[in-house]
Amino acid sequence: MKKLILAGLIILLLAAPWIIAKPFFVHLMIMVLMWTVLGASWNLLGGFTGQVSFGHATFLGAGAYTMMILYLKCGLDPWYGILIGGLVAALIALPIGYICFRLRGPYFALSTLAVAEIIRLVALNWESLTAGPVGLLITTLPKVSFGGQAINWESKTPFFYIAVVITLAALWATAVISRSRLGAYLLAVREDIDSAEAVGINTVQVRVAAFSLSAFFAGLAGGFYAMYLRYIDPDAVFSIALSVEMVFIAVVGGLTTVAGPLIGAIFLVTLGETFRERFLVGHLIFYGFFMMLSIRYMPEGIWGKVRNWFTKSPNTGN
Amino acid sequence: MSLLQLKGLTKFFGGLQAVSELTFDVQPGEILGLIGPNGAGKTTAFNLIAGFISPSTGEIFFQGESIGGMKAYAVTRKGIARTFQIVKPFKKLSVLENVTLAAFLKFPARREAEQAASRILAKVGLSAKSQSLAGDLTLSEQKRLEIARALATEPKLLLLDEPMGGLNPTEIDQASKLVKTICQEGITIIWVEHVLKAIMNVSDRVVVINYGKKIAEGTPEEVVENPEVITAYLGAKKK
Repeated sequence: MKKLILAGLIILLLAAPWIIAKPFFVHLMIMVLMWTVLGASWNLLGGFTGQVSFGHATFLGAGAYTMMILYLKCGLDPWYGILIGGLVAALIALPIGYICFRLRGPYFALSTLAVAEIIRLVALNWESLTAGPVGLLITTLPKVSFGGQAINWESKTPFFYIAVVITLAALWATAVISRSRLGAYLLAVREDIDSAEAVGINTVQVRVAAFSLSAFFAGLAGGFYAMYLRYIDPDAVFSIALSVEMVFIAVVGGLTTVAGPLIGAIFLVTLGETFRERFLVGHLIFYGFFMMLSIRYMPEGIWGKVRNWFTKSPNTGN
Repeated sequence: MSLLQLKGLTKFFGGLQAVSELTFDVQPGEILGLIGPNGAGKTTAFNLIAGFISPSTGEIFFQGESIGGMKAYAVTRKGIARTFQIVKPFKKLSVLENVTLAAFLKFPARREAEQAASRILAKVGLSAKSQSLAGDLTLSEQKRLEIARALATEPKLLLLDEPMGGLNPTEIDQASKLVKTICQEGITIIWVEHVLKAIMNVSDRVVVINYGKKIAEGTPEEVVENPEVITAYLGAKKK
């Protein structure tokens, strides 16, 4: 039954650009899906592992720049670039994790903020690689055809399907991890680090693994973001606002759940994008407002709340 | 061969010698009581053995292998499990999930880990609570959960840090029986306790420490007769 509903929803999602063919609607769905991936990325670390990062834009930016630089300098197709962007983000997360996870709780959160700022400044000043504040621009995307038909990159529909693939991958990975031994270890780390060590869990390794996986998905989203917008500069992909938005989406949607980030993104991004035309960063006011409401009235998030209505099970693992 | 050997184990916290030149052996299959007045260094000794802190000097051998300074998770993987004096359950997870997490060490597949966890919960008498949140248990149940979680790592040596602290007399009797049962299954136990009656009944041997130093060692009967032990607990007689 569950599987049938899930399959139905996926088919509905795939058909959506045909059902409502307005470009704004397709754009909105693309942004919702991209933010779902970013929310899911943050959820793996902040939700399951309980380690709060305020610097996840680092990985979004790493993915975006990797994809852009590989395409502009080496001519590598963006879809490979997106994947490599994810891997580069995951690699960057390893040393950051090993250093920052020596700190616990709020000190870890602050260190991620510091690292994100350092990386932003590096990107701003390493002009030979990133073109600094000028940014990088893609004028044309490579010609490809799918099923005998040339893909029209001026339409938003192809981007929508790429976003669907990445989103489903991120949510599927969350579902698999939440049922696995790794998922259980992440929860143990969130609950009590001493007890986790006492039952034989190498908590530094587990936290670094979660960090790196989380960074991988943020990197994928970043690579996709760069391909979709075709222009990036350090402030567009490394800004603290992006890191904070990921936190909002994950928390409002529901931490430690699989579907939470999707719900959070649908809710917040729709609001945000609708108001973006009128005020440039006005959406952050709404994000903050809903974050406060959520923390006060449903700390388990929208999806967590809905799920609690259906099950009384104390198990938070799935 | 001894299962565990401490040789001149010493730990300084700044100028304070919390554990000083501590030397004793633990034989396989025994229950060793570790007692001493408050602040004697019992918990510090546990933290040293379990790898939560590293010794300043001295050595710890487990099955002939030096484990001093090893990380806590590595010590657990060698076969030493511990409980905490102040219970630290994974509060927002169910009782079953708490123990399953520990069982994952020996059973990587969830189903087998859950089966192992259920067996252990039955042993400690928590089967009925397996779906409750660990944070909702009573203190006595949380103490048993700590033991269950430690057992799930399939240890050879179990370190119990005041498993009876805060329990009522009936619960203490139950806990004593549980400790004996665990020992009969071939797990060696070192046990820190303030409830002297229980420790005297259950332990094969007792080590007494005061100010971080060992002041007596022997059977429970020998130790209670030892004048130094009486002085440590009750103070010196007036002359």
